Amino acid sequence: MTTARRLLGRLVLALLVVLGAATVAFAAIHLTPGDPVRAILGTSGPSQQLIDQVRAELNLDKPLTVQYGLYVRNVLTGDFGESYQLQQPVVRLIGEQIGASVQLALSALALALLVSVVLAVATAGRRPALRRISGVVELLTISTPNFWVAVLLLTVFSFKLHWFPVIAGHGVSGLVLPAVALALGMVGMFTQVLREGMERALGEPFVLSSRARGSSETTVRVRHALRHAVVPLVTLSGWTVGALLSGAVVIEMVFNRPGIGRTLATAIANKDLPVVSGVVVIAAVVFTVVNFLVDVLYRVMDPRVGRFSR
Amino acid sequence: MTFHPPVRSRLLAAAALLAVTAMGGCAAPGGAARADGVLTFSTGQQPDCLDPQVSPAGITALINRNVFDSLVEMTPDGRFEPWLARSWTIAPDGLAYTFQLRDDVKFHDGTPVNAAAVKATLDHAVDPKTKSFSAKNLISGYAGAEVTGEDVVTVRLSKPNSALMQALSTPNLGIQSPRSIEGNFANLCWAPVGSGPFSFVRWARNERISLTRNPAYAWGPPSAKHTGAAALNGIDFVFMSEAKVRFGALTSGQVDVSEAVEPANAKSLAADGTWQYFHNVEPGMVHYLLFNSTKGKLADERVRTALMRSADLDALVRTATFGQLDRAWSPLSPTTIHYDLSTVGSWQVDRDLAGRLLDEAGWTGRDEDGYRTKNGERLTISWPYNNATATHLVETLAQGIQAEAKKAGIEIVRQGRDLGTWTNDLLNGNMDMFNSSYSRNEPDVLRFFFATGSTAASGGANLFKINHPELDAWLVHANTTVDEKARADDYAKAQRYLIEHSLVMPIYVPAKLMGASPDVHGLRFDVSGSPLFYDVSLAGARS
Repeated sequence: MTTARRLLGRLVLALLVVLGAATVAFAAIHLTPGDPVRAILGTSGPSQQLIDQVRAELNLDKPLTVQYGLYVRNVLTGDFGESYQLQQPVVRLIGEQIGASVQLALSALALALLVSVVLAVATAGRRPALRRISGVVELLTISTPNFWVAVLLLTVFSFKLHWFPVIAGHGVSGLVLPAVALALGMVGMFTQVLREGMERALGEPFVLSSRARGSSETTVRVRHALRHAVVPLVTLSGWTVGALLSGAVVIEMVFNRPGIGRTLATAIANKDLPVVSGVVVIAAVVFTVVNFLVDVLYRVMDPRVGRFSR
Repeated sequence: MTFHPPVRSRLLAAAALLAVTAMGGCAAPGGAARADGVLTFSTGQQPDCLDPQVSPAGITALINRNVFDSLVEMTPDGRFEPWLARSWTIAPDGLAYTFQLRDDVKFHDGTPVNAAAVKATLDHAVDPKTKSFSAKNLISGYAGAEVTGEDVVTVRLSKPNSALMQALSTPNLGIQSPRSIEGNFANLCWAPVGSGPFSFVRWARNERISLTRNPAYAWGPPSAKHTGAAALNGIDFVFMSEAKVRFGALTSGQVDVSEAVEPANAKSLAADGTWQYFHNVEPGMVHYLLFNSTKGKLADERVRTALMRSADLDALVRTATFGQLDRAWSPLSPTTIHYDLSTVGSWQVDRDLAGRLLDEAGWTGRDEDGYRTKNGERLTISWPYNNATATHLVETLAQGIQAEAKKAGIEIVRQGRDLGTWTNDLLNGNMDMFNSSYSRNEPDVLRFFFATGSTAASGGANLFKINHPELDAWLVHANTTVDEKARADDYAKAQRYLIEHSLVMPIYVPAKLMGASPDVHGLRFDVSGSPLFYDVSLAGARS
């Protein structure tokens, strides 16, 4: 298969994923009971005339199939229209909010990777007691709800110790606690996967040969074992993107940060379809792009993948 | 007028007395005082739109009070004082209100506040293009305004509306710059232009709204304690959706004033003595349980009365609110004008009476779970709630009422429903009862909820379409007369009628619970219990 054809295939697949996600968003909004117009205008007060006017403006008076057709056309052309609730273009709304979300996601990801690499290198193949303690801590971080961690971090480091501000602003100090809260759950997962991979690698003959050549323990762990252990971590990327997105909703709420997670949560409550679909499509695009990059990364990191799979 | 059940602060702003419990300040905690002279206010809600004529949300009114001035100001005893209007006359038939305006007031964009601006604002409120959720109902009967001089405007009504002056005193009918209405129509939500002591700077969505001092301001309301520009350099309204976070931010000195303090936290705040604690009773409808008296089991007045008398509300409310809120006796809050004091104590818990009434109504059987039955059918009442707006407080109270009803043999079924289903069921009268509250300092809210003509289809809140001609007569008469004595009499009768016939069960008196740093000086509240920042100064600030 040529590279061009493979790329084309991937592109079509990506498009299908995005379209599928957009369709699910459309269906979810329309299948749940309730009327978006009512959600926009409130439970009483608006006259029937106003309700009809808004309904016509939003094309909600047309048959569902026509609405879906219009919707797909708009999604494909990147025109998500105006938010029902906020009466602003969805693209502008998301554009305003996405920067903060990306900043948060990337810092949390970097932090989680850094901490788990250090933890895994330090604990892999060590004494059982140390591993057990580390295991318990990992399990705790995985199973503790984001919300609880976030409130706890704020209480200790902002309200009691005054180290970090609760009103984040745009500086680094405001990013620390949200990033830590979001990273914590990932640290547990990453460390477990990394350590398992490292322990397998530490038993391999090339480690023995490296040690025989007189390499130090650190060199063995970092240069040889870790490199092997990173490969399974990459396969976790789908889970990671999901964790970052869903975590962002909670973290952005608790830390009063702007972001698309918070925007999405409000939009769902208000049945604001244009905003919901805008965020869902962006999430789907991010997802497919990340998966594509991971595929490429795989080949770079592990030459065996390219050679044997095709 | 929108009412979103248990979320209090979404409601209309308006008028009344305050029960202010200001605590003396000790040493400054954490140093909230900021040299920049900008006050930070934390709120759990974010406005949907800052066009005062569009959004009925309480937070919109709270913020807009700083940006917009009104024609008149309402006093705690229900009178009106000149503000943008120097004086006014009301035609004997109640169909024309002529306002003589001040001639020295300028909007933030430099244009004059004149008769044309008043007309433009009121026309904007009823313009279908505005899609107003509330202001249109506030000026029901509006038939147009006439500019008869640079600073003289006559508001004409098609039918008398004794609640008009109160409506004009609220931020919801704050006067907007006509240049802004015309030139910036698509963007009015995001760039409000008024003549208030602070002007709008920026709305960082999901983060904060920033206002800055209007240096030219020289037309404060009569209740103000100073003249000239505001003392603060600006105000930042930050959106903190979690109550725990708002409380921590306040007590660690990172915000200066916080609204919507949870009752549990309010208790410790009040007891501590370092922070200022404010308990402002909200005027309007208390938090109530509205009965579907037109169909189902609650159509029988005896069953409704039995339900009301089965619960020891004093104890339930005290426990659920940590002693911070009072149980309610009348559907009107005690700070509403023409509140009827004789309702107090008129429907104490009486479990024997409840039992007798249910027996009389034929609910004499008992099933295996201890509930009463009639012809083999259980006495079951549905009380669904909306997942999105359910609050911890209301849930606790509902469980208490449910447990008390069970003792009387009544089964209350609580089911969570999503906003869409819940709204549909509500609008179709597809439930036996529902709870909510509604803030506005006008006893006319009773007409909005209980008059025959106020059905949901016609923009009212008589959701179960009750029809009581006697009640209608009082409510309509009170709305169309300007004789305050006659109004007081009408409203007293209406309140007693609603209780005597068990059409509504008042539960608790809602209050705005707020906390402030001891560095905040001069914080006052309007008659609706909303904070006023014009007179406020911050200790340690350079203004």
